[in-house]
This record gives sequence, C-alpha cells and structure tokens, in this order.
Amino acid sequence: MNKQNTLTLLESLLIDYANGTLPLALEVLVETHISMNPASAKSIRMLLQIGGALMENSDPVSLSEGSFERLMAEIDKTDNSEEEAHLFVSNDNNLLPLPLRDYIQDVDSPRSWKRIGIGLFEQALDFGDNFGSAKLYRIAPGSSVPSHSHDGNEVTLVLSGGFTDEYGTYGPGDISIQETGAVHKPVADDDGECIVLAVNEGPIVLTGPVGRLLNMLRK
Amino acid sequence: MNFRVVAEIISSLDMSMGSGFSNDNLNNLSEWDQLLILVGRNKDKSAFKALYEHFAPRLKSFLLRIGSDESAAEEICQEAMIMVWRKAESFNPESAGASTWIFTIARNKRIDRLRKENRPMPDFNDPSFYKKPIDKSDDILQRVDEEKKIKKALKNLPPEQAKLIFSAYYDEKSHKKIADETDLPLGTVKSRIRLAINRLRTQLDEFGGSD
Repeated sequence: MNKQNTLTLLESLLIDYANGTLPLALEVLVETHISMNPASAKSIRMLLQIGGALMENSDPVSLSEGSFERLMAEIDKTDNSEEEAHLFVSNDNNLLPLPLRDYIQDVDSPRSWKRIGIGLFEQALDFGDNFGSAKLYRIAPGSSVPSHSHDGNEVTLVLSGGFTDEYGTYGPGDISIQETGAVHKPVADDDGECIVLAVNEGPIVLTGPVGRLLNMLRK
Repeated sequence: MNFRVVAEIISSLDMSMGSGFSNDNLNNLSEWDQLLILVGRNKDKSAFKALYEHFAPRLKSFLLRIGSDESAAEEICQEAMIMVWRKAESFNPESAGASTWIFTIARNKRIDRLRKENRPMPDFNDPSFYKKPIDKSDDILQRVDEEKKIKKALKNLPPEQAKLIFSAYYDEKSHKKIADETDLPLGTVKSRIRLAINRLRTQLDEFGGSD
C-alpha cells in the first residue's frame, strides 16, 4: 500500500478514534501513535473540539420527567462510596508508551518473547475483545522479516528503531498499513533493534467503520 | 446567567489558582466553563443544575442524531452528567472548554456501554503522555480562540459539508445506512467525510491569527 493510501487510512483511523468506534486493540494502537506523533495529537484535539461544538449546537431535546432529580438522588447515594478513579500513571523512565503499559507484561524479560526466526521475536498481546491478533515484534538490527503476505489487513506501529520495506521507511511513531494479500519484506535499520506493534484483523470479521473499510478493501 | 455567581467564581478562583488563571483569562472563559469550575471547587449544586439544563438536552439531542436510540441516549446522557459532577475538579480550562470536555466524557460512556472493561481515555494535555515533547504553548486564550474559530467555521459551512462533518460522529450502523441509502461503498462514504474534515481544517488554518 502506498504512502498516500496509508495517510488516508490513518486519517480515517483518527476520526474513528475520536468518535470511539475502534476495536480495543486498534484504539490502543492509535493512542500510542498519538503519544508519539504531535501532528496526530493536534488532529485529535481538533476532532474532539468539533464534536463538542456540534454537541453544543444541537437543538435541545427534553429528557424524561424528573431526570435531574433522579440524577441528584443517584449522586447523593453514590458520592460516599466512590471508587478510586483509575488514572493513567505517568512514569517517564519507562520505555513503553503510556497507553500500552496495561497490556504488556514484561518487555525486557526474555521469557516473554518467542523466537520465530533469525533475529526475530514476537510477543502476543491480549486485548480480550476477539479482534484478530495483536503482537509485538522485535527485530535485531539489520535483520529482516521473511517476505510475507497477510491473511487480514494489518496496521503496524513502530515503537522504537525503524524499518524499511517495499513501500517506504518507517521510524518511531510511524504507522504502516498492509492490506490483505500485500507482500512485503521489512528490514530493520542497522543502527538498532526495531520494536513494532502489529494489529491484524485476522479471521474475525470486523464490525467497526474502519474495520468494514478494511474488510471492503480485502474483497 | 447570574452575575453574582460569576463574580463569586472569579474572586474565589483568583485566590487559589496558579498564575495561568488571571482575572483576564477567566473573563475569556464561557459562562459554562466558569460554572464547571465552580462545581469542581465547591460542589455547587445550583451551578451543576444550570450546566445540566444547558448540556443534558443538547447532549441527548446529539446522541439521538448520531444513532443512539431514545433509551440509550437518555442513559448515556445521565451517566455522562454524573461523571461531570464527579470529575469537575479535574476540569482544566486550558485543555478544553466545557462542551469539548463533556463531549469527551460522553464519548467514553458510549464506548463503556459496548465494552466490559471501563477504560479511561488518556489526558492528551498531560505532557508526560507524550514520548516526544510537544509544544506546550497552550493556554486558556489559545484554547478559547481555537474553539471559537471552530464554532464560527461550522456555522459558515455550506449545508452539504456541515452534514458530512456531522456524520463523522455517527455510530457504525448509521454509517452503514448512509452507504445503503446512497448506494455508495462504505469506503467512499468514509472518504467523503474525511475530505470534509480536511477542508474544515484548511478553513481553520486560513482564519490564521485573526478572529
């Protein structure tokens, strides 16, 4: 897939992210991308602002009778037993981008990586939402992933290092999108290990707008 | 909006907030931003009621238009407004105005309904969220200016483009419905939405620094 198509699909991913219609694995991938790419962060900010403006400009529709009183009763009832809010805890020393930390057990331990080729390791991630597969790949400097095609469409985000394939060169924070059947042979940069997150739609039929778009491209 | 309430907010905020919250800056906030700050600081129920009366009917209307049915729209609306009450303390007017903040909360509530896990959205305005440093030139004035420009731009859009922008926020089944009704592939529908958003972005850039 060429860079222009990738850019187009990335924009659609960001719109779906702002709208909250992505499957969890892709939502986390996009969030991670945003944390590494200021231009996409700016896009998301704008999309949320547009959403806010559209919401505020909507013609008011009345809620059911007594809804405010019911809400206040609910608040009075639960305010005292409020749970501790789950917040993202920032830790600048950690290698992993914030959004991924909940889903990766141990990036440094050799045991969490499975060797699948020369200089090539993988770690499966569980997003628990029946959405294809999500994996981390670790490619040694200068090593290549054997030429392969994809059963489903695949979105790949570079977490560190970089790689080059038939379609372009990708660095930290960059996204590459491979459609079903696309064949490529990524080669890691010479100057360091490359770690990527790849979300593949796999055999599951997607239901989200981007998913359906991806399904459609597959036909 | 009651002037006494605003005056009270301004005098109480000036005492305790950092240098970013001068009276000048507060004067630039919308009355809804100021009410939200009051709810956050004082758990002020009358301020919350005013917010609820303004936003809940608009949020419900928005949810209905993007594809929620009546009971889901009402439920998401109530759940979102409960969060507004609880989280008001963390409302930061430098990051977002009241409408953007409430929209984001409702977005998260809509996702929570579809998922078992309640997953919080990260704070995109927290510098430690970013692996790469971002420009932290944001302040209240810039944020207020951005949101004003967006509102103005949306108002001046040709109706067709305005409809397309709105449909970016539709749920999945509504996107499918457009594709069916227009006999266009879903990918084409999505492309048109994306192009409409790009055009709006260009229009916003063209406004430049002027108001």
